[in-house]
Amino acid sequence: MALPKRIIKETERLMAEPVPGISAVPHEENLRYFDVTIDGPSSSPYEGGTFKLELFLPDDYPMTPPKVRFLTKIYHPNIDRLGRICLDVLKSNWSPALQIRTILLSIQALLGAPNPDDPLANDVAQRWKEDEKAAIQTAREWTAEHAKKA
Amino acid sequence: MKFAQEYQKHLAQDGYPPHWVASAISYRQLKKCIKKVQKELSELGLDGETLSEALRSQYVLSGCENGSVKGQFVPKLLVAVDEATGEPLDAKLAPETRTFLQELAVSQQLSDTRITDVSTDLSSRRSSSDDESSLESQEYRTIKMIEVPLSSDSEFFSMLQDELSGLTELQEQEKFQLNRQVLALSHAVAKITESSSSKSKHDLQQWRKIFELYLSGNIFFSTAEQDHGAHNYAKAHQRLQKFTKDLNSQVKMTVFKRKESQVFLQQFLSINLELLQNLKYQEMNFTAMNKILKKFDKRTSLSVQPNFPPTLSSTLLSQSTSKAICASLSTSLISLIPQIDDYLCPVCFSLAWRPVRLRCQHVFCIRCLIVLQREGQDHCPLCRGCVVIEADVDNLDDDMAKFMRKWFPGDVKAKQKENERATAIDLYGPAYDTKCCVM
Ligand SMILES: [Zn+2]
Ligand SMILES: [Zn+2]
Repeated sequence: MALPKRIIKETERLMAEPVPGISAVPHEENLRYFDVTIDGPSSSPYEGGTFKLELFLPDDYPMTPPKVRFLTKIYHPNIDRLGRICLDVLKSNWSPALQIRTILLSIQALLGAPNPDDPLANDVAQRWKEDEKAAIQTAREWTAEHAKKA
Repeated sequence: MKFAQEYQKHLAQDGYPPHWVASAISYRQLKKCIKKVQKELSELGLDGETLSEALRSQYVLSGCENGSVKGQFVPKLLVAVDEATGEPLDAKLAPETRTFLQELAVSQQLSDTRITDVSTDLSSRRSSSDDESSLESQEYRTIKMIEVPLSSDSEFFSMLQDELSGLTELQEQEKFQLNRQVLALSHAVAKITESSSSKSKHDLQQWRKIFELYLSGNIFFSTAEQDHGAHNYAKAHQRLQKFTKDLNSQVKMTVFKRKESQVFLQQFLSINLELLQNLKYQEMNFTAMNKILKKFDKRTSLSVQPNFPPTLSSTLLSQSTSKAICASLSTSLISLIPQIDDYLCPVCFSLAWRPVRLRCQHVFCIRCLIVLQREGQDHCPLCRGCVVIEADVDNLDDDMAKFMRKWFPGDVKAKQKENERATAIDLYGPAYDTKCCVM
């Protein structure tokens, strides 16, 4: 099936005007599959880390949201062990007018503002609520260990 | 090559009009003036070394409070002396200089008008009692700053200030003159858009392509997230070159059908070239100003560059001319020709044909609306209002459709075909697509 104009346009713009701190490069053999990296926001426990993600555009995109998953291990109350992300715009609040770039920006913002009241990783959220300082320290350590820039 | 020579060469060879050359910063004269300041200071025993190492002094430009300029600004060299005796506080001065300064202090004390009190920096030390004993008695004196009268530095600054106001005035004239050109051109191009002859229609499509290229070229300013803001000369130059190149390769200029279109295009290009030249000129003057201030500080050890009023330096590099003219170009001229980017469907990113206007006033192409309804999605993709399911044939926006047929006939045709194909696939399945291609 030919690639819809919308995906072509989005990809072109991502290449021509990349978002600072974010990159998204489509696979040559499958233009619906993107290698993504997101830099941890400054003054967050993820600062200094570069996180790898995979992003896939399903056949009925943009009627359904892209599928996104963290590949780099990350300690965050809204991201589980498998890298799945709990983010409203990726699920019930998806709108076909949203784009790859807006979604990736939302994910970057989620790193800057973890929300332990809407958790996906329950143990992490629990710890985040009970002892935020220690949780942030762990997040920092994981960043240093797993998300070091290559 | 020395800067002075290089600067002179650029002024002579870069094709600036004579009145621009005349208004440019006179680097050489200012440099001569610095020599005078240097001479005057060393005659007073205040050579660079003494000023920078031995003497507690301040150099201020009055008349520029809070970074803005009020009237003429006057430079003042202030030197610290003992309030009571008028003795200079610093020991390493030559005897004549000490006497000179002390006499100056006494005479100024008498008139009592030119004395500035800066004793605050010592008052805190006075209140801390612990190490009082270790302080020399001198530290307890109240310090007064007295002004050392100089004449050559005033000459330097009034010369510089005159030149800067001359440059500001020149920029105002340029802005006015370029803006008049833009308005005249807009007026002429508007006539083409009003005409309904087929020649005009044809030319409008050409103009649309030209402006589309121009806008995406981001020549003087950038809208891209990574390099937001105004471009310097080098970048603008490179962008303008790329635009002209793309223009030649992508838009065949010979296919204008009305003769005046060709003339207008030349005018449009020449406005842009003049803007670019202006940018170059401003940058050159800005560099000259910074160099001359740096030289002033280096030769005299009076440090004036950090205090130099930012408003003056910024008017010189504000790119306010390019900002004003680019704004005028886009509101008066480019807006005459609608750009397709403003009429895209936010879901499929193609022309929103045929346009359906929902109750919330958001417009989508009919194809995307059909898909949204089929999926049972009631929320408007832009505002999430529950307005999708209720939409029917009454929501077709006929005025917008007419407008699109006028301005984007090619895109309308293409999108119409695409929509029909998608409908056929809905009806007959994907096999329709392959059959269609064989035919
Ligand atoms: Zn659409
Ligand atoms: Zn809406």
